Amino acid sequence: MSPLLELRGLGVRYRTDRGEVTAVRDVDLVLEAGETLGLAGESGCGKSTLAMSVLRLLPKSARVDGEVLLDGEDVVTMGWGRLRAVRWARASVVFQGAMHALNPVRRVGEQIAEPIRLHGGTARVADLLDQVELPAAKARSYPHELSGGQKQRIMIAMALACDPKLVIADEPTTALDVIVQAQVLGVLSRLVAEQGIGLVMISHDLSVLASTCDRLAVMRHGRIVEQGPARSVIAAPTHPHTQALAAAFPVVGDPAFRQVEPDEVRESTPLLRAEGLRVDYRGRGGVVSAVKGVDLEIGSGEIVALVGESGSGKTTTARALLGLRPPTAGRVLFEGADLPTSSKGLREYRRQVQLVLQDPTSALNPRHTVYESVAEGLRIHRVPGDEAALVADALAKAELRPPEEFFPVLPHELSGGQRQRVVIAGALALGPRLLVADEPVASLDASVRGEILALLLRLRRELGLAALIITHDLGLAWSIADRVAVMHEGVLVEQGTVEQVLLDPSHEYTRRLLAAVPSTTP
Amino acid sequence: MLRHVAGKLGGAVAGVAAVVVLGFFLFRMIPGDPTVTMTRGRQVDEAQIAELRALHGYDRPIVEQFGKYVGGLLRGDMGTSLFYRRTVAELIGERVGPTLLLVGTSTLIAVTLGLWLGIRGAWRRDSLFDRTSTGVALLGWAMPAFWLGMLLSMVTGDLFPSGGMRFSSTPPGFWPQALDVAHHMVLPSLTLIAVVYAQYQLVMRSSLLEEMNADYLTTARAKGLRDDQVRRRHAVPNALLPTVTLVFLHIGLVVTGAITVETVYSWPGLGLLTYEALAGPDLPLLQGTFVVLAGSVIVMNVLADLLYQVLDPRVRAS
Amino acid sequence: MTSIVWQRRRAAVSSTWREFTRNRGGLVGLVVLGVVVVLALLAPLVTDATGLDVTKAAGDRWQPPSGEYWFGTDHTGRSVLLLTWWGSRISLLIGLTATVLSVAIGTLVGVTAAHFGGWASAGLMWVTNFFLVLPSLVLAIALSTVLPRGIGTIVLAIGVTSWASSARLVRAQTLSVEARPFIERAKVLGGGHAHVIGRHVLPAVLPLVFVNTTLTVANAIVAEATLSFLGLGDPSMVSWGSMLRAANLHGAVSQRAWWFLLPPGLGVVVIVLAFTLVGRALETVLNPRLRGDR
Repeated sequence: MSPLLELRGLGVRYRTDRGEVTAVRDVDLVLEAGETLGLAGESGCGKSTLAMSVLRLLPKSARVDGEVLLDGEDVVTMGWGRLRAVRWARASVVFQGAMHALNPVRRVGEQIAEPIRLHGGTARVADLLDQVELPAAKARSYPHELSGGQKQRIMIAMALACDPKLVIADEPTTALDVIVQAQVLGVLSRLVAEQGIGLVMISHDLSVLASTCDRLAVMRHGRIVEQGPARSVIAAPTHPHTQALAAAFPVVGDPAFRQVEPDEVRESTPLLRAEGLRVDYRGRGGVVSAVKGVDLEIGSGEIVALVGESGSGKTTTARALLGLRPPTAGRVLFEGADLPTSSKGLREYRRQVQLVLQDPTSALNPRHTVYESVAEGLRIHRVPGDEAALVADALAKAELRPPEEFFPVLPHELSGGQRQRVVIAGALALGPRLLVADEPVASLDASVRGEILALLLRLRRELGLAALIITHDLGLAWSIADRVAVMHEGVLVEQGTVEQVLLDPSHEYTRRLLAAVPSTTP
Repeated sequence: MLRHVAGKLGGAVAGVAAVVVLGFFLFRMIPGDPTVTMTRGRQVDEAQIAELRALHGYDRPIVEQFGKYVGGLLRGDMGTSLFYRRTVAELIGERVGPTLLLVGTSTLIAVTLGLWLGIRGAWRRDSLFDRTSTGVALLGWAMPAFWLGMLLSMVTGDLFPSGGMRFSSTPPGFWPQALDVAHHMVLPSLTLIAVVYAQYQLVMRSSLLEEMNADYLTTARAKGLRDDQVRRRHAVPNALLPTVTLVFLHIGLVVTGAITVETVYSWPGLGLLTYEALAGPDLPLLQGTFVVLAGSVIVMNVLADLLYQVLDPRVRAS
Repeated sequence: MTSIVWQRRRAAVSSTWREFTRNRGGLVGLVVLGVVVVLALLAPLVTDATGLDVTKAAGDRWQPPSGEYWFGTDHTGRSVLLLTWWGSRISLLIGLTATVLSVAIGTLVGVTAAHFGGWASAGLMWVTNFFLVLPSLVLAIALSTVLPRGIGTIVLAIGVTSWASSARLVRAQTLSVEARPFIERAKVLGGGHAHVIGRHVLPAVLPLVFVNTTLTVANAIVAEATLSFLGLGDPSMVSWGSMLRAANLHGAVSQRAWWFLLPPGLGVVVIVLAFTLVGRALETVLNPRLRGDR
């Protein structure tokens, strides 16, 4: 009997303006019925292209070589009619980012029922919704009325609608918070196991794959560089790329991932303080409090992680600390003095406290060269001295060497990690005492995350630069922070040293958060 | 939802009020008073001007004039036409029907045609059909309506009547009259359609092109839907929404086209009335047509806005 | 340092140009525009303006095209070729100046409404939407009836009534630029309004404004022809609209005087089409969102 899915010498090339680009080369892969396979890799490694080629969903510019055998039948050479019959009935897809993968103007119930009607069968929408633990009434909702987790459950229900033997899940939990992610992964694993479905799960996050899949395959530059049982791949990776990926997801509590020496935490003088900070938004439905009375202190040379899920108010807190959003109540003190409110005073304050944003690609003006971006702050503040030398110095501090070579480069010519270094250099050029970093590595590839974190630690060591790191990632906090503050629904539920909070949490929410973190060690 | 509707209706009232205010001050913005405009380039003596002033009340204080104007509008009184010596309201009342008929029919056909061409063109982007239909649409769009009108009536010769709305010789009775009107309407509506359908086509085309790369279309294809099902059930309903707004936003342009087309074909509607008011100029009449045309376009747009609320679930919820 | 910046800009311009030349329609439009503009500029040098004067018309009335009068003559015996040639000057002049006025107002209103929030911006948007919906020709007719006849009036009437779509476009683009994180970064670096608008917003918005300008010219030229056709133009000047007005009033249709009808109308069509083609080509080049890869 032929396996559920077999790829033989699969290659995919795209025709572009600049000639052909190979996305996938020479991939051989076998999946037996009921097996679960995790496909790991960084953005652009070809893992999504691979997934799309299984149902021949690639754009017209793609050229496919090799064979994609679904139950022994080659998808690549299938006629259109046969292909349509196979799609969703034999194999279905849980797409990345359910926000866009659902039609915004049709009820989700109709969208679940659509493939059933198409392939023959009775629409059992309520039953499917029940399987993904959603009330049947949600069938009448439109996608925008659902939360991210609910939409992803809808996608799973839709994928199971025609009882397929194979489900391909493409980054099914990427945009979700940890607790919701754990729930969605739970639902998916349970259904796959119950119904004996074969699963190919694609993710950049090894820990997510490790917690759901039996086997792992690691992709890089369109090739599979390593594959084997999940446990052994993670415990003893042979390929250096797999090792880098594994190292990028710190395990909370594992001393090997803790990069801060306990004695490195010296006594420090308070630098920035928030007292009873409260921020209200005036929305359509009345006033919403995003931050409800936060007391937070960052000492000089200290790294504090502010941890929370999306919507917890952590980003609003950061904006208020930076003076970008006036607090509704409470005060922010820098070196014991209230934050200035005049635009001139705030401008002076900006030289002391700088921001590093999540996505360096959009944080840099695409039309400005590296030099212009780094010099921007210097020009605004009319910093005296040789501009070129100051820019070079800042770039060097951000480990972009030799700095002069980066001067004329535009952001799109840089890698993600280099872009984040440029953003950091732009902040360093003003000689600040504190960096507020909002998810500084969340949009970076796993292998460069470590480098950026190491840079932040080195800046602290060499320049005494304090940092407030806003993150959803407890592993990140474990790896570089001195202290952790956990935020939930606008309130700091717990704060203390990393060891206290993450190893011996006192608040119930922190415990839930820790329990939901997918772990590479089962 | 209800608050939203109330807000929109409030906006409509404000819009119409703005038109009313504009209609008053627009004709009084040059130094002196409207009699200066009315008598420009003509030999008139002081006594005649004084008489005109007294006749229209231009010698009263501006606040009083405005009060009288607004009060009159509320009662449906828009003054008296200088040329026709009849009330403006009466004249406009006579002319509304033909314009509605012409503009309504033409818009309906133009929208249907434009949307259909736009959808087909976008779905087969850069095909021969797409290129040709876009080219033809641009050509129509580039033509001044009145020029196309003159050209059409010259080319078709005696095939269609080239002026008016009906012959006086047509026997009474519904069908003969209706046929006669339809016969008269062929050229004006053809002209109007040719000039305005392009915008609907182009908007629909680009709106659909924007949706073409949407992820939910990949989902639909993955489900095994046929190409035309993907288009009909998923792409078009999404692309249609922004188009609806633009269709109504462009009503102003259709009105613009109607003015010149009615002028060329002597179609007895509001457009022709506006043109007739220019000779003179017959300011009370011009003011009346301005307020009615602009006001109704604003009201139409508010209706469109409300329709959009019903059509788009995303807006409906908030 | 500036030399590197300039090199970059030059490279950007030349790559835009290369991209543009790949669009055949746009290239054709540009060539046509070039020819028309040169001809319009040459008119006073090559031809004799006295032929435009009704009292000095040399030919017979309604003469069909011949060796002497290539495009025939009008109802007063003037050469239609000469009239059309001189008419192009007014069409272009009014089209371009009205567009500059309209786009300038639109850009100012759009950037202001998007950058500074609050009540003032809401008010500006209300006014913009009002003008957007208002049938612009009806307003332009009213304006040009009240003001003294002349080129200035027409430019004003077109410019003041047609800026709203530019404003809306610029506002949308400004909003989308300002939502990008690099604006927040600039603010955190200490940049004020002038810095954000000057260094980030305007450079990103101007290409779009440029495209919009090209497309607006087409509208303005049609609007000019329409106003002149309705008799609201400058009576002392020959324009394509006023020629068509004469054709309509003096029965060119019933005379079957196609030679008097075709040249001015085709003039409008050709110029409008040329501007539109150039504008659409620029749009595909400068707005990468429209450059689908499928």
